[in-house]
Amino acid sequence: MTTTDESQARPLPPIPVPDELSAEFWRLAAEGVLATQRCTACGWRAYPPRMVCVGCHADPPGFEWAPVSGRGRLATWTIIRDALLPGFAHLTPYVVAEVELEEQDGLRVVARLHDVPEDALAIGLPLTVQFVDGGEGTAIPVFARADS
Amino acid sequence: MSGRFRAAGEVAIVGFAHSPIQRVADDPLGVLTLRTIREAVADAGLDMTAIDGFTTGALFPSSGGRPLRDGIEIVTSDWIVDQLHVQPRWLCGFQGLGQICGSVILATEAIASGAADYVVVHRAMYNPPGRYHANPMTHASGGDQWSAPHGFWGPPTHMALTYTEYQQRYGATREHMATVVVGGRAAGSQNPWSHWYDRPLTRDEYLSARMIAEPMSMLDCDIPVTGVGAFVLTSKERARDLPHKPVYVAGYAQGRSQSVNGVPPWRLDDVEEGGRAVGRILWENTGLGPDEIDVPQVYDAFSPFVYLWLEALGFCERGEGFEYVQDPGTSPGLTFRTGGGAIGNGRMHGVPQMLECYLQLAGRAGDRQLAGVETGIACQAAPSVGGVVAYST
Repeated sequence: MTTTDESQARPLPPIPVPDELSAEFWRLAAEGVLATQRCTACGWRAYPPRMVCVGCHADPPGFEWAPVSGRGRLATWTIIRDALLPGFAHLTPYVVAEVELEEQDGLRVVARLHDVPEDALAIGLPLTVQFVDGGEGTAIPVFARADS
Repeated sequence: MSGRFRAAGEVAIVGFAHSPIQRVADDPLGVLTLRTIREAVADAGLDMTAIDGFTTGALFPSSGGRPLRDGIEIVTSDWIVDQLHVQPRWLCGFQGLGQICGSVILATEAIASGAADYVVVHRAMYNPPGRYHANPMTHASGGDQWSAPHGFWGPPTHMALTYTEYQQRYGATREHMATVVVGGRAAGSQNPWSHWYDRPLTRDEYLSARMIAEPMSMLDCDIPVTGVGAFVLTSKERARDLPHKPVYVAGYAQGRSQSVNGVPPWRLDDVEEGGRAVGRILWENTGLGPDEIDVPQVYDAFSPFVYLWLEALGFCERGEGFEYVQDPGTSPGLTFRTGGGAIGNGRMHGVPQMLECYLQLAGRAGDRQLAGVETGIACQAAPSVGGVVAYST
């Protein structure tokens, strides 16, 4: 059977490849849960995951994956008008943001914004996480306005 | 000078050469590099047989996902030594960012310690076919899994996050940045080797430039080029016998790798905090201060770096860089980068900054020679992760 389905011809966004450090993050994401590492010794959270806790340098390190509320505030952003990854070309212009999660000062996640108009972009804008299909069973966190 | 760096004034740049800067070079990069090194050695009044040390920072930031081949996309000092078929006393590669600064630091320490007498520092830059940072990856592994699946890819997008936060926090606009970019291009348009030779830019052209990753436009990024810079360094004693006025290494400082969170690499708070630390180390090591620097060549591969370096090194206060560069009393737009920097020359990764320090302090800057200049600094990369070297006469 032949197909002319456009989605099969179009390059896809890169699919995350889970590894020793990230497997649990992607497993939880596929269930619709955003999580970060949390140090079992001092409670300091890390995203992306790390080998050693910057908060207390516990040895051996003890990190667990702990869900977050998914709520945060817009810390900074860029409007991508020229995608360097072919799989994102059809989405331009799109907004990539740093979202500061409410659980910890400076705990930021880089992700796309979903349905946030450019004129609404402002430092501190309340956001909440959603997930989109990332391919091969993965789910990618994106953020939408918390009031939408 | 009463800095902590005891080798201040002990090691000098004694010669240089620069290839043409082209989008596509006429020769393979390795051939161009060997030729430029030979020209630099001749410029220093030396024979190649005198060179007993070689170093570079070969790291090439983007290859479109292709493997890197020595002599083609990159040129290491090992490759050079292999072609020359010599056994140097000292051979060392710099690993990290702020590649030209790191190479000068290694060379200085080798000469000051006696590990080498005459060292060639080179930097070879290559513009690959296709789009510079474009990457056809279908899967994202390792560190890339935290950026690429989000459509976040390439240094201009990293810089855009930093720049938006800077603009929002301090009130900087693209109109402010026009002064920086137009100034860099005005200076670069006077350099015969520049990609932008005889091609200055107007404010309107800057303000209407195509956006890549807002607020970063095409013209906020240096243009990818192929080109080579090479310098010869030796001890102050040996420098006395050579034809050109020596320009001495007065001290240096290096940043430290990436931010705590890694993605993105240049979070504004990290750049400001790390940059201030680099500034403190620089002034402590050199015994100098920003008021004493005649030729401040801050890094500008992405235009916001100009503000961030000026603030990091204390030329102005945090958050005031964008206003500082507007003031014709302190900056006619050219003051910081009389050589044109990366925006004015092309993506040469800190070579324009180092070269301008050398040319001005050696009295070899031709039509743009400044009077009475005795000190300079040359910066590369983000203040928090790169490097800065101070020079003196």
